[in-house]
Amino acid sequence: MNKVWKRLDTAFMYVLAALFLSPLVLMILTSMKPESEVLNPSAIIPKHWTWANYAHVLGWSEEAPFVQWLLNSFFIATSVTLLVVLFSSMAAFAITRLKAPGGNFFLGTIVAAMMVPGQLFLIPLYLILSKLHWLDTPLALIVPATAGGFGVFMLSQFMRGIPEAIEEAALMDGCTPLQLYLEVNIPLCAPAIATLGIFTFVASWNDFLGPLVFMDSIRNYTLPVGIALYQSSYYTEYGLTLATSVLATIPLILVFMAFQRQIVESMTSTGLKD
Amino acid sequence: MTYTRKRGMDAWLFMTPYTLSFAAFILVPVLVSLTLAFMQFDLTSRNSIQFVGTRNFSDALKDDYFWQALKATLFFVVLMVPCMITTGLAMAFGMNAMTRGRNTVRALLFLPGMLNVAVASILWGWFYNGEFGLFNYLLKGWGFAPKPWLSDRSWAMPSAVGMNLWWAVGGTSVVLLAALQQIPRSIFEAAVLDGAGNSALLNRISLPLLRPVMLFVVVTNTIAGFQVFGPTFLLTRGGPELSTRALVQYIYETAFNNYRLGYGAAMSWLLFAVVATFALVQYRFLKRSVA
Amino acid sequence: MGAKTSLFLLALLAVILGFARSDFSVSSHHKLHIDFWNGWTGPDGRVALEMIRQFNQENPDVEVSMQRMEWGTYYNKLMVAEVDGRGPAVFVIHASTLPRMEQAGFLADVRDMFEGPRALPTSDFDDYVLNQVKYDQTYVGVPLDIHPQGLYCNADMLKQAGFVDANGNARAPENKEEFVRAIKSMQKLDASGHPDTWGFALTLWRNNFQALIPQFDGRYMDESGNADLDCKGNVEALEFLSSLEKQHLVPPPENGLGWVGYRQKKVAMVWDGVYMLGDLKRLEDMPYIGAPIPVLGHHAGTMADSHVLCIQKTMSPERRDAAERFIRFLSEHSIQWAGAGQVPARKSVRNSAEFAKMPVQYAFSKQIPTMMYPPRTHILFELSLEIDLAVEKVMRGRATPDEALKVANKNCQTFIDRDRRERQAKP
Repeated sequence: MNKVWKRLDTAFMYVLAALFLSPLVLMILTSMKPESEVLNPSAIIPKHWTWANYAHVLGWSEEAPFVQWLLNSFFIATSVTLLVVLFSSMAAFAITRLKAPGGNFFLGTIVAAMMVPGQLFLIPLYLILSKLHWLDTPLALIVPATAGGFGVFMLSQFMRGIPEAIEEAALMDGCTPLQLYLEVNIPLCAPAIATLGIFTFVASWNDFLGPLVFMDSIRNYTLPVGIALYQSSYYTEYGLTLATSVLATIPLILVFMAFQRQIVESMTSTGLKD
Repeated sequence: MTYTRKRGMDAWLFMTPYTLSFAAFILVPVLVSLTLAFMQFDLTSRNSIQFVGTRNFSDALKDDYFWQALKATLFFVVLMVPCMITTGLAMAFGMNAMTRGRNTVRALLFLPGMLNVAVASILWGWFYNGEFGLFNYLLKGWGFAPKPWLSDRSWAMPSAVGMNLWWAVGGTSVVLLAALQQIPRSIFEAAVLDGAGNSALLNRISLPLLRPVMLFVVVTNTIAGFQVFGPTFLLTRGGPELSTRALVQYIYETAFNNYRLGYGAAMSWLLFAVVATFALVQYRFLKRSVA
Repeated sequence: MGAKTSLFLLALLAVILGFARSDFSVSSHHKLHIDFWNGWTGPDGRVALEMIRQFNQENPDVEVSMQRMEWGTYYNKLMVAEVDGRGPAVFVIHASTLPRMEQAGFLADVRDMFEGPRALPTSDFDDYVLNQVKYDQTYVGVPLDIHPQGLYCNADMLKQAGFVDANGNARAPENKEEFVRAIKSMQKLDASGHPDTWGFALTLWRNNFQALIPQFDGRYMDESGNADLDCKGNVEALEFLSSLEKQHLVPPPENGLGWVGYRQKKVAMVWDGVYMLGDLKRLEDMPYIGAPIPVLGHHAGTMADSHVLCIQKTMSPERRDAAERFIRFLSEHSIQWAGAGQVPARKSVRNSAEFAKMPVQYAFSKQIPTMMYPPRTHILFELSLEIDLAVEKVMRGRATPDEALKVANKNCQTFIDRDRRERQAKP
């Protein structure tokens, strides 16, 4: 009885997963349709397969330098990820392990700041970046992104779950805090750092408002803002929009497939320590 | 004594990079926007910029569109959070009981969350399209009447929640699944030996032990719900009849379409007050029931 | 792979990408660089790019580069960039949004483009259009085109419904009786009695309603600048649309539904701007014709707007000269621009034989004598939203035209009062 039920459950979950996946499959199929049949739901499989949408997107170099956007997105997302991981792990290490005076109060402040709607920061940030002469440079998208509190919050939670005995022992052995951080703490937190890294990468990759407001030149755009060019108000170039969407999503799916174990498994530790 | 003081100094050395970034790009912007909230600040008529005291706040409380946007936001939260928790929980139990392939299913359920919200909305906008969309095409094919997914005031918000569920439930269910897997088997075995039935196992063991995680999931989803912008804005532009115009969209339009930055900032702080209150109440409430 | 190795590899990747990025920047030092911003994200933008290529070839000392983004985003961005003094040299603004930009002080005086030896002849523009760009007896921009709302029909469906001219070609309905008859005869029901094909659908419903305002002698504001949205003409105009809803001749308003349906041949007729033509041209098997909005009120009329070319305020004389050359070039070559789905602002271009060969543009241009622009107001965004809401409520059968417009009028008056209090009271 129980076995049958479990089999049924397994089958059902597979169907559910397929359902969750189907919009993505539809997106890919539709992006390969010619414009005339693009919105026609009666033929989900294209009648005439075409690469025209992709050829158009990729070949449109002057006004839509797709490869440039792709490189921008990669450069910015990678830099942001590195800095966030570095800054957040250092801060979390100081709060939970070195018991920084006022550290817990600071953590509370960070969490409170996470509740402030992001739109609120936009104009002040713009003014600050303007003063720094960082507008229309990658710095505008990289440095402010390191201020987000999620990383510190999450890593602190994770570190609190690790027994301190190991690190106390290392300290007793004459380990400096720097050694402790590099040799003991980072390896112990590797799964949580991987999760944070991937979350940060995805969030930075998908950030829309930042590049939109802080970047002026077309060649400094990131991929999502580039896509927005296609979502025009007057024209319904659906095939092109979907083709760009697919191209913008592929790198994320690759990242996800490469790291999905880490992402999913260390989400455990984030949620579990309350 | 020297040992601890040195440790404290080391600690703040480690804190420095993040603290600087936090100060420059969170603290200062917060202070600036707090100042803006008490000003009449219109970018298009700079000679009319002036301090107006609490007028922006009192204007907001008298503004029908503010209340309506707050109501729409609350509706989204009230609809989305329970759906998210129950669906996420059901999916977590479903995955937990799987005999094989759990990791694959978990990955696939999580995958939509990787998508840009703009991409997700383009897709779902087509699914939901009233006359020419996929859903109504399927409904008609199965002999049902087409539904006004986005064009009716009572349908639009649930439709937006539906898309949001597809987009974000993966993360919630993965967290809950992880928590479920951490419950030691021995507890269940002991309970079964004591003659506990399935429902007793669920109500007496699984759910109470999941409480701390539930707290995390409920609070983060609530905060995210109050800040909703992308899903509703991109899907319906706030319509029909502004019924899905959430507060963040109204703030965005006020600040960036009408250039009334002061008023926008004041409404943002009101939103912050609401979110913080909700989060605090949930935290207290769930915390107590954990203990 | 250890955590430290992965971090190191990531750092390496970031550095490499940083260098790779910079390879793409091509700069030409010896040319005057003119950046040109607009919201022409559709096929029209491709025509504009072609014209820029031509201009750059003919003017080797200048290099114009164009940036386009969706209009809503574009206006936000233009405003923010201008505030910071980093706005583009040349930019496009709708005539209806000029008041905001003018008040913000972003627009250069371009009187010299209409005076002097190389001037654009003012007689070649319609007075009504030229008045849109006039502030305090001077000009703040050059109108490039006029884009009226007009009627798009599916030619095959019209023919099937018997709307043909003497030569057997499809003929668009011209008056109220014909229009309603056309809608009814082209509507097809499915087995359950739900319309499968609609004779008519709203596109951007506020614009659809605004197209009828001049036909019923309606207006937005009274002589003293107070809101007058619930005037008799406006109510009558909305009542016509409401009568279609009551007879189930039009689907409930839904974003994008009308135009998408028209493209899918599920809607026989829509009203939309001449700029939508570019979208139709891309469809291979779309049998379309364009015509003026049928006379549904007391006389012909429609809504229109213009793309206005404006110049940044602070520029060196050399760059300013290059910018003016570029604007003059666009204006003089506006027959090319017309090909993208526009009606040129220049009368001489509209009178050319070449323009007469563009059937939709030509048909839409016949409405110029009776067209009406959106009002000159600082609260255009708020006003548009109120009109949108009023039309939406009526078309869903949730309010009478009179009720809906009264609410819109009251709200608009509040915004006008606030605007007077906040913006116009200078210290």
